[in-house]
Amino acid sequence: MKRLILSASIAACSILVWTHPASGAKPNKKQQSPTPAPVAANNASQPDATPLKSELPSPWRTWSDPQGNKIEAAFCSLYGNILTVQTRDGKTVQMYLMNLVPEDRVFAADYMKRQRANSFADDYVKKAAYQIDYLIGSTLVANKQKFNGNATEEQYVRRIYLDAVGRIPTAEESSAFLADKAPDKRAKLVDKLLYSPGYTMHMYNWMGDMLRLKDTFGKGVPAFTFQDWLKDQLHADRPWDSLVRTMLTAQGKVCENGATGFLLYDAQMPLDGVSNLLTTFLGANVACAQCHDHPLADWKQREFYQMAAFFGASDGIDEKMLGAGKKLAKNGGKGTPGLNKGLVQKIASANAYRLEDTNKQHLTFPKDFKGNDSSVKPGAPVTPTLISWSKADAKNPAYKINTANPAQLREEFARWMTHPNNPRFAENIANRVWKKVFGLAVQEPVSDIDDLSKASNPALLAHLATIIKAGRFDLREFQRVLFNSQTYQRAASASPDLEKGPYLFPGPLVRRLTAEQVWDSLVVLSVGPDVDNMILRRGEDEKLMSLPGNSPTAENFKYVIDRLGSSGAAMGGGKKGGGGSEKGLLAEYQGGKPQQRFGMILARASELPQPAAETHFLRLFGQSDRLVADSNTTDGSVPQALMLMNGGASKLITDTNCAAVAAAEKAASTDAKVDSLYLAFLGRKPTDEERPVATQAMTTGLGMSDLAWALVNTREFLFVQ
Amino acid sequence: MNNDLLRDPIERRSFVERCARYAFGLTVLPALAGKLSAAEKAVQVSAAARSAGFGKAKRIIFLELQGGLSHIDSFDPKTGDTKGPGAAISTKADFQLTEYLPETAKIADKITVIRSMSAKVGVHASAQYLMRTGYEKRSTIVHPMLGAWAQHYLGSSSKTLPSTVCVNRSANHGNGYFPAAFSPLPILDPDQGLTNSASAVSQDVQQKRIGLLEQLDATFGKKMADENVKAYGDFYESTLQLMKSSDLKAFDLAAEPAELRDKYGRNKFGQGVLLARRLVESGVRFVEVSSGGWDMHKQLADGMEDRGGDFDRAFAALVSDLDSRGMLDSTLVAVTTEFGRKPQFDGGGRGHHPLVFSTALAGGGVKRGYVHGKSDAKGYEPEEKPVSVGSFHATIAYAAGLPIEQEVTTPSGRPMTVGNKGKPAMEVFA
Repeated sequence: MKRLILSASIAACSILVWTHPASGAKPNKKQQSPTPAPVAANNASQPDATPLKSELPSPWRTWSDPQGNKIEAAFCSLYGNILTVQTRDGKTVQMYLMNLVPEDRVFAADYMKRQRANSFADDYVKKAAYQIDYLIGSTLVANKQKFNGNATEEQYVRRIYLDAVGRIPTAEESSAFLADKAPDKRAKLVDKLLYSPGYTMHMYNWMGDMLRLKDTFGKGVPAFTFQDWLKDQLHADRPWDSLVRTMLTAQGKVCENGATGFLLYDAQMPLDGVSNLLTTFLGANVACAQCHDHPLADWKQREFYQMAAFFGASDGIDEKMLGAGKKLAKNGGKGTPGLNKGLVQKIASANAYRLEDTNKQHLTFPKDFKGNDSSVKPGAPVTPTLISWSKADAKNPAYKINTANPAQLREEFARWMTHPNNPRFAENIANRVWKKVFGLAVQEPVSDIDDLSKASNPALLAHLATIIKAGRFDLREFQRVLFNSQTYQRAASASPDLEKGPYLFPGPLVRRLTAEQVWDSLVVLSVGPDVDNMILRRGEDEKLMSLPGNSPTAENFKYVIDRLGSSGAAMGGGKKGGGGSEKGLLAEYQGGKPQQRFGMILARASELPQPAAETHFLRLFGQSDRLVADSNTTDGSVPQALMLMNGGASKLITDTNCAAVAAAEKAASTDAKVDSLYLAFLGRKPTDEERPVATQAMTTGLGMSDLAWALVNTREFLFVQ
Repeated sequence: MNNDLLRDPIERRSFVERCARYAFGLTVLPALAGKLSAAEKAVQVSAAARSAGFGKAKRIIFLELQGGLSHIDSFDPKTGDTKGPGAAISTKADFQLTEYLPETAKIADKITVIRSMSAKVGVHASAQYLMRTGYEKRSTIVHPMLGAWAQHYLGSSSKTLPSTVCVNRSANHGNGYFPAAFSPLPILDPDQGLTNSASAVSQDVQQKRIGLLEQLDATFGKKMADENVKAYGDFYESTLQLMKSSDLKAFDLAAEPAELRDKYGRNKFGQGVLLARRLVESGVRFVEVSSGGWDMHKQLADGMEDRGGDFDRAFAALVSDLDSRGMLDSTLVAVTTEFGRKPQFDGGGRGHHPLVFSTALAGGGVKRGYVHGKSDAKGYEPEEKPVSVGSFHATIAYAAGLPIEQEVTTPSGRPMTVGNKGKPAMEVFA
């Protein structure tokens, strides 16, 4: 735990200085013939291993509010009004800037400014973005294709809000951008959005699908701490490599250390867990090799087991704890009457989910080993060995690890996996983030990038990996580069038929909004953009479940039950698998209590149960059930149309309290009202054909809320161009 | 009620068009969105192909046990060192099941068990995809589920209800490369049925709103050549149709007697299966019902009692219910799962095992009280008559009267067949 805290406060507060020139990023604009692809240039782009010698002052400060409350903590970040700090005992705390004394507000704003100056230089962003355009342009030329035309201002503003903060812009936000005449207004908007709280919410949703964020593990073990932990990482700007390293090396109980959540999700199925993490973090298509040599890829079953052996000394479930809980529940708490059986079992399970490294690597080759490998003896212990993608990997510094000590195996593995020289770690995350931004990965599927030459544009993928490494895995700055490319600002293409050939990115793709984007947009239309400041945190109560000294005695169970009771913890009486009652849920928000309308809590998708209930709007629109990684969908269905036409969504939009409609009603003329609603829903004014249709409809007994109903049901609303 | 009467009448023009295309041995997509009845279908299938079992299954209920049903602990009990925690029990047929399936044992004389299913994929998502589509998962194309294939060859099964419904799972692009209108309608909670099917405002206002929507939506729809954008246009059309349907009550389980609901089991799977029966009765052709939680790496005995019990009650109730309504011979019930589980026990459960596993079929012209194929003594691999997932699909397709040798061409020009050229297991047909 100690180690984690230290690294958290250091990493959180000193990120990113661009110290190397962009590798190969000096393209000549007049150059017509394609240049050789810039190699991933390991040496040039390799960031320093030592912390940056930035000139930032100490982040430590005693923060106070006008009432005289004080807290000593290190500054981490300031997004909008949300200030994130970290206390000496490692706790990440979010505070609201306006609640602090003026000196603190100045300090925070100033510190954030200095910290931002430590990120990519604008010049680097330009060069790196230009290189993206160049690499795509030359591939298009070679294939006799052309870039799409430019996206309109209106298309752009809606797109950038959705891609950077995960929701559509409000009418005010769209019109402010459209009215702005500054030549650099796009770059400025990108900066503003990336460094606002909406970004962390959007990234959280995106990662939620990839990392399978789920309220409960197994049979109802609460895992809110993992969610709180991830939110903290995003708010505190922890870079991707550090985030992954922490998840892979985390120790302890999930009810104490949220970072254990990633591995403990698969505690019952450690081999599946290894297969998942290799696919999620390296794009290694190893899943098949779990049972036999991969029929298409190069992975052997032996190699899979050798990788899994890095987790073979780690124990995920404390069976003794489970047993003790079961026994105690059966006896009805003999000697300690009044112990609630259900609670005892629940607490025992919560304490049983823990990660512990032992001194022995336990994994053996399966008795029915099917790999075609004479070196393997079925049933024999496995020696942890790293996979490699090419012979050159033998000399790769990432591979310098020490496997002698079983208790250190995860640590060593994580070092290799997140090392800037790991042959796939940077490529994998670059490819995945590119997909988020452009609608399709450079190499599909993202779960298999074993052969990088199969990418639609290998040079582009190599360049993206270089940017990721140059930015030390800061995904915010990486996206700043993508958003500043001309390619991103092109008109969107219809979804291509990949059977006919790779998509070469003449522009981003037309996409249906993700489930989270549609929901978050509806919420902002209903109650306005304040929801970007409301954060749900549910892990604190869960921490109360930890048994003192990890000892499953009746006394300790009683102690924990009393503690839960006296804190009114939401998890005590909640429904199985749920995050407590709705009332309990509402009590756990910070930064304002979300409104409830028609039985729905109007908070951003990231600040709702994970995943949302099965019949919730989010699930109807394709939010993943979080059982399998990367399974959000954007397919249409009849129930979606019913939801938008007749269901809760249509009620929200046609309600008199709907913020967008209420704002439109305030406009002076019918034309102006119609304009206001168009801006709110579609980020543009109506065309000269549409305006008369809409105003004419207002004379037939329909009102603004009916127009809002029609707009939310248009396909243009559901799609980003 | 004769459900075949619910099918759309023949559309003469599209029928002729189709026949012309079939004459070349190829169907061209997506130009063919027309409708075709079972009777018309028969025209295209050579007489030789029409033997026992062909086209008897007018409706299909496809049960999907997600996570991997342990064959040894359910339909294929073993006696040796791979025996599971549950004892083998006698049934009303001359084969045994495990004690986790006591209700199924009572109707075993009405079902066919396939004990020689065999596949290679041991990863949940990919294996589920294979079992749902008959094709291995690829990144460049999405394959259709059986319900979509049936709609392609046989046309819509109802004027207003969808031809395919999936219960307890999302649609997951089940139409594949067929038109989006072939996508299954998802019902995530059978107790709630189809929610939001009634408009919240008066008929008059609703009509005006829709009129306005149609005008405002038109430009974008025309401008965007994107398939998914087009698909949403189709969904809105189907939705408006459905809202007018008098068959909406098919989605309402409250209309079933409480006793029968209890018999199916008051859990999501049980109620989902009952909903499936209601839906096929009202004209839906293909209903998929999912049950999660079969991935029993640990605590398998508890899991088989828990999940196994829910499945056992629902499956047995469905088969008896269909039989007593005289619908069993024309309704095919398929029990499927993505793979089996390892013969060796490991930490209270078993790992994934695609090499051999079991499925079951009931009704729709298949034999009653029959076991097809055999696994070896350990339950490790097939010993007799291995059945691939493609063959399993071809078997169901054959029962449903689909031309399994007919090729369709995807928009990108790839030839495909239902069941991926698998041969039907003809011996299962009565």
